[in-house]
Amino acid sequence: MPDCLYRMARPEDVRVVHLDSFMAVYHRSSGLTHLITAPAPEILVTLGEAGMTFNALRESLADAYELGDLDDAALTARLDELVSAGLVSTA
Amino acid sequence: MMSDDTQNDPPNDPARGATSRRALMLGAVGATAIVSIRPALAQTAASVVTCEIPVPDPGRAGNYIAADGSLVPPGTQGAFAPAGRPFKGQDVKVALGGGGQLPGTSYEQNRAYTNYIRRLQSGTSGFTCFASLQMPRG
Repeated sequence: MPDCLYRMARPEDVRVVHLDSFMAVYHRSSGLTHLITAPAPEILVTLGEAGMTFNALRESLADAYELGDLDDAALTARLDELVSAGLVSTA
Repeated sequence: MMSDDTQNDPPNDPARGATSRRALMLGAVGATAIVSIRPALAQTAASVVTCEIPVPDPGRAGNYIAADGSLVPPGTQGAFAPAGRPFKGQDVKVALGGGGQLPGTSYEQNRAYTNYIRRLQSGTSGFTCFASLQMPRG
């Protein structure tokens, strides 16, 4: 799905608490709480509610951060995790 | 409601205000950046709609259900044959709340079945589902 759009979950669907080195995200519809750590919060913020394609996300991350290991497979793995948790939707 | 809840804000941009680009590692493919916690209660709440209640309990399959919900020998006059398939939690919730009848039941049959469900005891198949229907939902 190279052109599919990845979007962060809607703010009303999650409750976010910032903790020291990670973030606790309560996902209302599943009743699950996810403890997420870098780079997951950064990916969520970059995607935003508007969402973006995989390639746009990769470019945005590379612009905003000094990526030590930019790797499509790793970014795909991180995105897949977020999608499985319901914190990112695809369209 | 949400505007005065500072903890409910969307994630703040970690890069905001940074004078230089922050280092970020994507991690290995096999690594994980997410740990999910599933409290037992949350799991119960999430499964309320899809959990099932057999009428009667498989341990007492074959028994008929009397009007008051008690189990009686098969063929007892005025009692109803077992339900063909378990009822969904959501259907039971509606029936118990008086908002409708259990699917495929007559008025009297529905009353007998719901009386049976109300009398479910801990350890009986369907009790956990019934109990979770009673819990107030947030």
